[in-house]
Amino acid sequence: MTDEKKPTAPSEAVPAGSVSGIQQAPTTTPPADAGQRPGGEARPAPAAPPNVAPASPAAQQAKPGVVNATIDGIPVSVPPGTPIIEAAKSVGVDIPFYCYHKGLSIAANCRMCMVEVSNAPPGKLVPACQSPVAEGQKVTTNSPRVLEHHRAVQEFLLLHHPVDCSICDQAGECKLQDYFMEYDHDASRLDMPKWMKNKRKDLSPSITLDQERCIMCTRCVRFMAEVAKEPVLGAFGRGTREVIDVFPGKQMTSNYQGNVVDICPVGALTSRDYRFRARSYFLTATPSVCTGCSRGCNTFLDHFQGVPYRYRPRENMDVNQYWMCDIGRGSYHQLYEERVAKARVGKGDAVAAEAVRVAAEKLKGAGAAVVVSPVLSLEDAMAVMLVAKEGLGAKEIFVSGRADETGDDFLLRGDRNPNRKGVELAAQAFGLAVRGWNDLGKSKAKAVLLAGVDVPAAPEQVAAWLGGLDTVVALAANDGPVAQAAHVVLPLATHAEGEGTFVNFEGRAQRFLPAYPPRGDVKPGWFWATAIGAELGLAYRYASAREVFLEQSRRLAAGALGTFDWDDAPRDRIKGVTPLTGGTVDGRPPGWRQLVPLRTPNTAA
Amino acid sequence: MPDNHEIADTSAVGALDAPLPRKTMSINMGPSHPASHGTVRFNIELDGENIVKLDPEIGFLHRGFEKSCENVTWQQCLPYTDRLNYVSALCNNFGFLTAIEKLAGIEIPERAKYIRTIGAEIHRLCDHLTCVGAMGMELGGFAPFLYAVEARELLWDRIAELTGARVTTSFGRIGGVERDLPEGWVQKVEDTLVKVEEFRHEIDELLTHNRIFIDRTRGTGVLSAEDAVDFGFTGPMLRASGVDYDVRKAHPYWVYDRVQFRVPLGTTGDNFDRYYMRMAEMEESISILRQCFAQMQPGPHIVDDWRFVLPPKPQVYSTIEGVIGHFKLIMEGVKIPKGECYSFTESPNGELGWYLVSDGSGRPYKVHCRAPGIQMVGALEHMVKGSLLPDLIPTFDAINMIGGEVEQ
Repeated sequence: MTDEKKPTAPSEAVPAGSVSGIQQAPTTTPPADAGQRPGGEARPAPAAPPNVAPASPAAQQAKPGVVNATIDGIPVSVPPGTPIIEAAKSVGVDIPFYCYHKGLSIAANCRMCMVEVSNAPPGKLVPACQSPVAEGQKVTTNSPRVLEHHRAVQEFLLLHHPVDCSICDQAGECKLQDYFMEYDHDASRLDMPKWMKNKRKDLSPSITLDQERCIMCTRCVRFMAEVAKEPVLGAFGRGTREVIDVFPGKQMTSNYQGNVVDICPVGALTSRDYRFRARSYFLTATPSVCTGCSRGCNTFLDHFQGVPYRYRPRENMDVNQYWMCDIGRGSYHQLYEERVAKARVGKGDAVAAEAVRVAAEKLKGAGAAVVVSPVLSLEDAMAVMLVAKEGLGAKEIFVSGRADETGDDFLLRGDRNPNRKGVELAAQAFGLAVRGWNDLGKSKAKAVLLAGVDVPAAPEQVAAWLGGLDTVVALAANDGPVAQAAHVVLPLATHAEGEGTFVNFEGRAQRFLPAYPPRGDVKPGWFWATAIGAELGLAYRYASAREVFLEQSRRLAAGALGTFDWDDAPRDRIKGVTPLTGGTVDGRPPGWRQLVPLRTPNTAA
Repeated sequence: MPDNHEIADTSAVGALDAPLPRKTMSINMGPSHPASHGTVRFNIELDGENIVKLDPEIGFLHRGFEKSCENVTWQQCLPYTDRLNYVSALCNNFGFLTAIEKLAGIEIPERAKYIRTIGAEIHRLCDHLTCVGAMGMELGGFAPFLYAVEARELLWDRIAELTGARVTTSFGRIGGVERDLPEGWVQKVEDTLVKVEEFRHEIDELLTHNRIFIDRTRGTGVLSAEDAVDFGFTGPMLRASGVDYDVRKAHPYWVYDRVQFRVPLGTTGDNFDRYYMRMAEMEESISILRQCFAQMQPGPHIVDDWRFVLPPKPQVYSTIEGVIGHFKLIMEGVKIPKGECYSFTESPNGELGWYLVSDGSGRPYKVHCRAPGIQMVGALEHMVKGSLLPDLIPTFDAINMIGGEVEQ
């Protein structure tokens, strides 16, 4: 990640030579201004981060606080307390596991990560997730005994597993599948009927549990107790009859419950929002940033053929650790629901260039008030303000955006706009005074340029007020009363369709990548702003958000974005399997659109 | 524009009395020409009737096969290999699979080795029949072609019974072959081979002692053994020049070390020798087939390893282990270990080589095919330069260029 290092208080200073890992989690997150959680209990710090700094063995011997060992013959030096599984990962040895999670306490109940170590009692394997590396220890992860153990555990876990891959959301990202091909790859030896359990138990309106698929790793139980702080899940029964369930009369209500779907290594916990809507192996995962609030949780946006299907949190220890909240998780719906696909002049569709010309003509010399939504990226905001300042002669901008709501003490912020800080920085850079939404009504302007139609008031009221103005030009991503009240509408791209930067509430600039190309006449905000500017006689011409940033970010106050480098973007895009065509253009069975109706046929179908 | 090779100096005194300037003529032959098989265009420069320069222009069947392989799983490459030399698809199928198995370190079952040998030899017969039949036809004799195609059709019927398709077989799987020989198939092939021998004999009678055929082929397109090696010739074209190199003997694969066969060698390296190599090799192929039928024992036709081979369907439908194995092999492909390899087999026209690079994923990182025909098309100008235009026809026939494999 390219994130600017957060201003660190002395207590939050990262120890030299240590990668920012989970060890710092209790002090670095939640950030100082987010306050402590009720009870003041720090988040658990189950594992120390691996230190992979290479050094000669002699030098390491001399260094205090370092443990030296070998894993499959590879020397490794880590801080004391580092589990073998993390030490092995740091030197490229992958030990299989189900129940281990860096952000949760250690359970060591799946028995998949057992390895041979030189200092164990004879004949004993030890769990690599629970055993810290010992000085001089020799760890073997690929001996016949270890491999036979992996195979046996894998066979055991699949013994009563239902034959569900074909109808399971997890297929393609399931650890049972991955490890079966790697460690077992043999036929079933079960000669009795499989145990039947509850196949669809709703733990909450958004989470469904399939107890047959569960392998009892208890990640979800630990997550709800330790991170969500809502210990309503438990393991009931014993032996083959053991199941995960909610305590009687309880329900999952936490705003963070969606994470149990992500951490479930199998298809037991599924999201009812995502359930049966897509096959995960077709989805391409693009690194993105959640726009649900001003935290800017790092995400993967999973999409297929230009339709987003879900957000998943992307690890960033400085921002969101491994998690994201359900409000943010659901915000992807705005990326494709009720979209504006065509430019409009008046009530009818218009050719984009004509709409831009009309917009510029109406705005020219009208003394228009420029309203910038903090949902726009930094690049979009800068381009709009450039036109406001130099093309329309504005002295101030009005900041709209979604209305504030209640935040919490973990990730969710009260400010539900991803880029308020960025808009303020941009306004400052262009010497424009920042006015609030309420000041807009007091201004005498009879023309308004709305860059983004997110408003903190009831849209119908806003639309009624806009109806009394002479000119309303709107860059609108989502259709609604506000966009419909505008005289000229230019279809605006969301952050999934363009690239750019959001500056979160703590001043951290974060890049997001384009996930899929926009449809119809949809274009990013910087494009429309530059086009209107050109009609107004400005000489600025930009071909990409990058050009806007590189040229206009020079106006920002020195160090406003810290060490942010636009080109140093996350590269971990994961391409989905290209489906072979069969009957339909995307390889799905005919009629899948009828089975899973997309809610906006004009844009997403 | 044609080059002027010899232009009389018209500026000299009495130039008008000088003989007419001898200009070369540029003609264009192909890409579809009645006297050639193989879709290729020749830019030929003629001095009178003699070839001064010849530039074969390939690419009419180019499909980007090697690049396409990088976008599909290893197993999904197989149908592409059908379309290399489409007359002998099984040789390509099995050669490609053998290369993958070398990379993955898979030892296929005995019976699979025999089935592969049988399939490859049947298609070798088909290919040679096509070559000699077309050669006879393009030199004026239509009857041999009809006999050859009749024999080929009988063999293709047997191939269809085995694989389900006459031409685009896509037969074989990583680790063996898709299914065992059909019941009663061996006897049918034995009967067919008797008919094929008769047809081969007819063609032999019609062409080998035919004055016109001999005149057109003997002493034309001659290439010395040294030149043939230098140009990278393999297969019957190389052996016609007297070089004893047959991959089946030099680097035995499948069961070629367990069957008796001779490698016919030519003496002069002319087109007649090239024709006769194929006639002789057909006899050997028939002999190999009969030996295989006599030797082969019942047994598994594919390895029993779910990392490479789809689980049996009853397991897929009723057990989680089977459905996972099926799902992973279909959606992600067979995971071939990281590495690279070169593997080669004797296809009817020469050495069919595969250079494969795997990055450990289910799809090839790089596939390169060394097609036997490309070197020979490259040497065509050398073989026919200075000779008469009609000599081009038997020379190009003997190369048996297949556009599908030359133009990847």
